[in-house]
Amino acid sequence: MSILEVSGLSAGYDGGFVVHDVSLAVEAGEFVAILGRNGSGKSTLIKAVQNLLGNVHGQVLCGGEDVFRMGPRRVAAKIAYVPQMAEPVFEYAVEEIVLMGRFARQGRFEKSSAGDAAAVAEAMRLTDVAGMREKRLSQLSGGERQRVFIARALAQDTPLLLLDEPSSHLDISYQVEIYGILKGLQKDKGKAVVVAEHNVNLAAAYARRLVFLKDGGIAAEGTPAETVTAANVLAIFGADVDIRPNTRSGLPEISLAGGRVDE
Amino acid sequence: MSRKTGRRLFWAVSMFLCLAGFLLSLLLGPVRTTPGDLARFIQNPDRVRAAIFIDLRLSRAVLAFLVGAALALSGAILQGYFRNPMADPFVVGVSSGASLGAVLATALGFEAAVFGFSGPGLLAFLFGLGIVSIVYALSLRRGGFKIETILLTGIAAGALASALTTFFLFMRSDSYDQAVFWLLGSFQLAEWGQAATIAPWVVLCLLASVWLARDMDLLALGDETAQALGSPVRRVRKAFLVMSALLAALSVAVSGIIGFVGLVVPHWVRLLIGPGHRTLFVASALAGGTFLLYCDLLARNLLPAELPIGVITAAVGAPFFIYLLHKKR
Repeated sequence: MSILEVSGLSAGYDGGFVVHDVSLAVEAGEFVAILGRNGSGKSTLIKAVQNLLGNVHGQVLCGGEDVFRMGPRRVAAKIAYVPQMAEPVFEYAVEEIVLMGRFARQGRFEKSSAGDAAAVAEAMRLTDVAGMREKRLSQLSGGERQRVFIARALAQDTPLLLLDEPSSHLDISYQVEIYGILKGLQKDKGKAVVVAEHNVNLAAAYARRLVFLKDGGIAAEGTPAETVTAANVLAIFGADVDIRPNTRSGLPEISLAGGRVDE
Repeated sequence: MSRKTGRRLFWAVSMFLCLAGFLLSLLLGPVRTTPGDLARFIQNPDRVRAAIFIDLRLSRAVLAFLVGAALALSGAILQGYFRNPMADPFVVGVSSGASLGAVLATALGFEAAVFGFSGPGLLAFLFGLGIVSIVYALSLRRGGFKIETILLTGIAAGALASALTTFFLFMRSDSYDQAVFWLLGSFQLAEWGQAATIAPWVVLCLLASVWLARDMDLLALGDETAQALGSPVRRVRKAFLVMSALLAALSVAVSGIIGFVGLVVPHWVRLLIGPGHRTLFVASALAGGTFLLYCDLLARNLLPAELPIGVITAAVGAPFFIYLLHKKR
């Protein structure tokens, strides 16, 4: 069953639509990557499907329910979101940040419950941040911070995770670590994971299905083997590259020729 | 020091200081009184001592506490609202706007009471709300909350409002004293009626801010993230904007502009007990009330003549403000 069904969605900001007439379905437990250049509408799409944008047209169903008719609390119980990395304000401790993921499940005057504590502990265990619960975000590295934000999304306890460029400012070891965690959540916890990503190789290595956006519309869609082709990369990213199978996984990846030595 | 220890220490120390402050306020004043006098009065009340202890000193102490609590709570709200520890009703210009409103109402003879608000109180609220809304809109337009925009807009709006306030006061030519009252603040005119007017509103705002405290925590992560986590961001922002203006206006209407309380107090409190807004709001109110109680004690006992209380709070707050600016760079 589809957990997310997007049909004829156009979305944008005050200035007009950025995403045009996108239709897309995400199955429960599926790992999907949305790819495209900067400004192609990846972030806009990720935000629009969880009703964060004012200017939308079309329909988005989450678990069969119309997202655009849901209040924030209801959406937060179904969809968790890890935005592009932002600088933290005020000195919240890691555990306090993760607990914020429980907001939609707490009454306003209630103290946090045993259920909240259990969900927070489990989320911190899965992302390996339990050892730094007392630390402030400002004391953490970029990769650790991102793990904290993923833990916060996990504490929301939703069947669907949306992540916007989860590893874009991280060096390669953290990229592999973050994607490893996401893959584990999908395989072991049955979460549907949707990432916006500009790194094609990274996406092809972890996601089962790739959706390429160009100028706010879907330009290609399918498995890595079907979509990561030299023709697609040229048409969508405007880059002339070679595609080769990865020697270990056999998945296609972009290989750059660079300047030739004999030239 | 861990936050838990810090928290315990904070509550113990501020409770003690608060009680001690009230006691000192009862004992100190132009008429010499001893603890013995107070004890005798409590056992056996008489009219003369009642006038001194209850009507003059206690009313003033209670009013100073309420105003301090309101200003510190308003500051804590504005700091969360603008995601910036340098916001405060005075810095953002709300207090100056409120004082302009109050003076204008008096100048126009608009004194009628609406919903328990005097005319000056009502106009003070509307002008304060107007200024904070302008600062909010301008700082949003320049993309996110740039502290430069907030501070510069607030300072400019505040300076303009203060100039207009002074202009209206001097038009009526009665009042150098009045100008000092509105621009630097004082509890010289304190009476029970004023305390009774603002007390319910301060309590109401405190309850409402605790009710929305978790939403404020989420706002620290950014508006989109806050909404994605389940907070109705637009409504929450409106509620907090109204509360911050209301609290500042209530304070200004009874005691003029008292600067920097809302800046310094929440900052200290956050250092001791952490940034979680549920405790921060309550603790700021308690600490702010206590802080202003002592400032008022200084204002009326430091020199033979009474000082405007804004002089004391600025002497403490302005250097602190400069220190914060310096630390930011």
